[in-house]
Amino acid sequence: MEQGSSSEEDCFGLLNQFHHVLQSDPLIDEVGFIHPSQFTLLDKEDGLSNQNKPLPYNGTSRNFWNQDHKLGISTDILIQLCKDAKHVFLAALEEYKSHGNACNESQIMNIESEVMKHSQAVLLLSSDFGTAWNARKLILSKTDQLSAFTEELRLSGLILSNSPKSEPTWSHRRWIIKMISRRFSTPQEIITKESKLVESIGERSKMNYRAWYHRCWLVSYMAIGQVLHELNKSKRWAALHVTDSSCFHYRRRLMLRILESVNVKGSNAYDKTEAHKIWMEELDWNKELVERYVGREALWLHRRFLSLNWIMYFACNHSSETGLSIITNEEVAIFIDNEIHLLESSMIVPDTKFEDFQAQALYAAVYMLWLPKNIPELWRMLEEKLGTEKLKCVLSTIAQERPLFLQHLVNV
Amino acid sequence: MSSTSSNQMGQLVADKHVRYILMAEKKKESFESVVMDHLRMNGAYWGLTTLDLLDKLGTVSEDEVVSWIMTCQHESGGFAGNVGHDPHILYTLSAVQILALFDKINILDVGKVSSYVAGLQNKDGSFSGDMWGEIDTRFSYIAICCLSILKTLDKINVEKAVDYIVSCKNLDGGFGCTPGAESHAGQIFCCVGALALTGSLHRVDKDLLGWWLCERQGKSGGLNGRPEKLPDVCYSWWVLSSLIMIDRVHWIDKEKLVKFILDCQDLDNGGISDRPDDAVDIFHTYFGVAGLSLLEYPGVKAIDPAYALPVDVVNRIIFTK
Repeated sequence: MEQGSSSEEDCFGLLNQFHHVLQSDPLIDEVGFIHPSQFTLLDKEDGLSNQNKPLPYNGTSRNFWNQDHKLGISTDILIQLCKDAKHVFLAALEEYKSHGNACNESQIMNIESEVMKHSQAVLLLSSDFGTAWNARKLILSKTDQLSAFTEELRLSGLILSNSPKSEPTWSHRRWIIKMISRRFSTPQEIITKESKLVESIGERSKMNYRAWYHRCWLVSYMAIGQVLHELNKSKRWAALHVTDSSCFHYRRRLMLRILESVNVKGSNAYDKTEAHKIWMEELDWNKELVERYVGREALWLHRRFLSLNWIMYFACNHSSETGLSIITNEEVAIFIDNEIHLLESSMIVPDTKFEDFQAQALYAAVYMLWLPKNIPELWRMLEEKLGTEKLKCVLSTIAQERPLFLQHLVNV
Repeated sequence: MSSTSSNQMGQLVADKHVRYILMAEKKKESFESVVMDHLRMNGAYWGLTTLDLLDKLGTVSEDEVVSWIMTCQHESGGFAGNVGHDPHILYTLSAVQILALFDKINILDVGKVSSYVAGLQNKDGSFSGDMWGEIDTRFSYIAICCLSILKTLDKINVEKAVDYIVSCKNLDGGFGCTPGAESHAGQIFCCVGALALTGSLHRVDKDLLGWWLCERQGKSGGLNGRPEKLPDVCYSWWVLSSLIMIDRVHWIDKEKLVKFILDCQDLDNGGISDRPDDAVDIFHTYFGVAGLSLLEYPGVKAIDPAYALPVDVVNRIIFTK
């Protein structure tokens, strides 16, 4: 086992100080690594708002900063603290694994609480340290107290405040939720809280795949009512973060879940006319966003999904019922007319200095050709409606940006 | 690529990258190296494969590496990211790949490693990463790649494994980590790689997926991994290898991508970063060199897009008994 350069006493000194801070404020909800120069700044800021409050440390300790349940750890001590925490944790884990069977109950509980204490310290400093998460899982799986699991959710939330992309931390959260739902029940309020957590983390950590994946994962635990509620609730956030493709994917996940519910019977069934309405609303709303925020790839990709599904699911089902093909389907014809209008207005580039307009033209042109790639019968309708000149214009827009890809499209 | 344009864009400073990798192993005093300690096995795979692609694997002590790897193996057959840590399928593949680089697969108890990997397959065909059960298509790829190297694919239900991967396909042609999860170039590599290794590429909509993948190339020539994200050298591997496996690599501008990767080099101290002028690391150094290998850059050995190992190593695996 590697040892830091400090003496044993120093090592425990720093780590004990850390444990002391954590124990003295069990409600810490945010942690971060800060440069020592920021300590003075934080003290000043804090002094303005809390003039009567004494500082928790007498000024000689510049290792930790803790006010209003926010914890700052000095970057000067990180390496040493992390090495020490790992060393002590791995030693405790080894003891737990080798002596666990030979001890009496109170001894086991002692070792367990050591492992929990030191794994917490390690994870606050190094969130991807999988073995420390595993040790916690091992001990938690023996408990039947709900409070232990909710406390674990709190800890992993705290760690995410500093490491929002940490995959093992998100994965551990899912493990806790699975345990709760297996042993107790799937509490809807946990799902709601999780959803909120992802949104607030998504606010600070943009396009965070792991966070949004977690929210998508929650969908399978949701009843149809909650799915609708989530769809409604995430709309405002999405409109304020139009480049965040992950949020739009979350909406796609919810919308596909609604489609699934159209095909079932029972308490989770959903009316097709209502689903159709949701789809039309999303298409209209997406059009508004596309026109307001020019050149945003995430919005155009969302439109691909919406249009393809609308034609395939809502319009084509009508077609099969009436025995008509897509091409003679009046609803589809009107839909394509509207899309061509959108294409035309999007392809006007008023100012070539701004890349956004060129991007808008490219995304619109590619979007228009992407639909018939998925529904080949649309080719003829599109050719007729666009005419040779406009089609040339669409192709040359793509040729400017993606000449090699266009060669393939033309060959098709 | 014409010789004049490659002169203009600068060269691969291969010797400096070799030195950077050899030095990185010795430097252990940064916070980054302390928090990366638990995945040393992955780091070793990235560094050693890069060295092999640059034909410099001989500069490291094979015995030292191999004996360290073996101390990371658990009773279960799985490998940990470092000594004293828990086993995980992520590190098991890296361990097997490194042993393959050194032509040392024979020192493994193949049956034991294979049982560990096969034991992680679930009823629906998916794979967990370890005994704690998180499921991800990354683990499907890892299992299939690992067992392909060990030639023990018959230990798992390949048909179900393939069906599960296909169930993670999205309407945009891409793949996510579980059914319904967002498409991501890294996950796409895993899914396409696993399908390639099991002879199931016909289950991919190549034109549609190729469409999504080639849209990852931005004006700088670099590739991103998802819409609206900045380009990053690591996607030179994930996107490019996928495009090659589905035979659509001619849809992107390869010359511009070569230039982007070369621009991410630290010309003084070696190493490659995610984007020009950022700090270098071993992960991006590997993906940069591997990307150049796929782009047939002179002086870099060819890499196999599915196994993520040099082609000569893969040939040795396939043609030995």
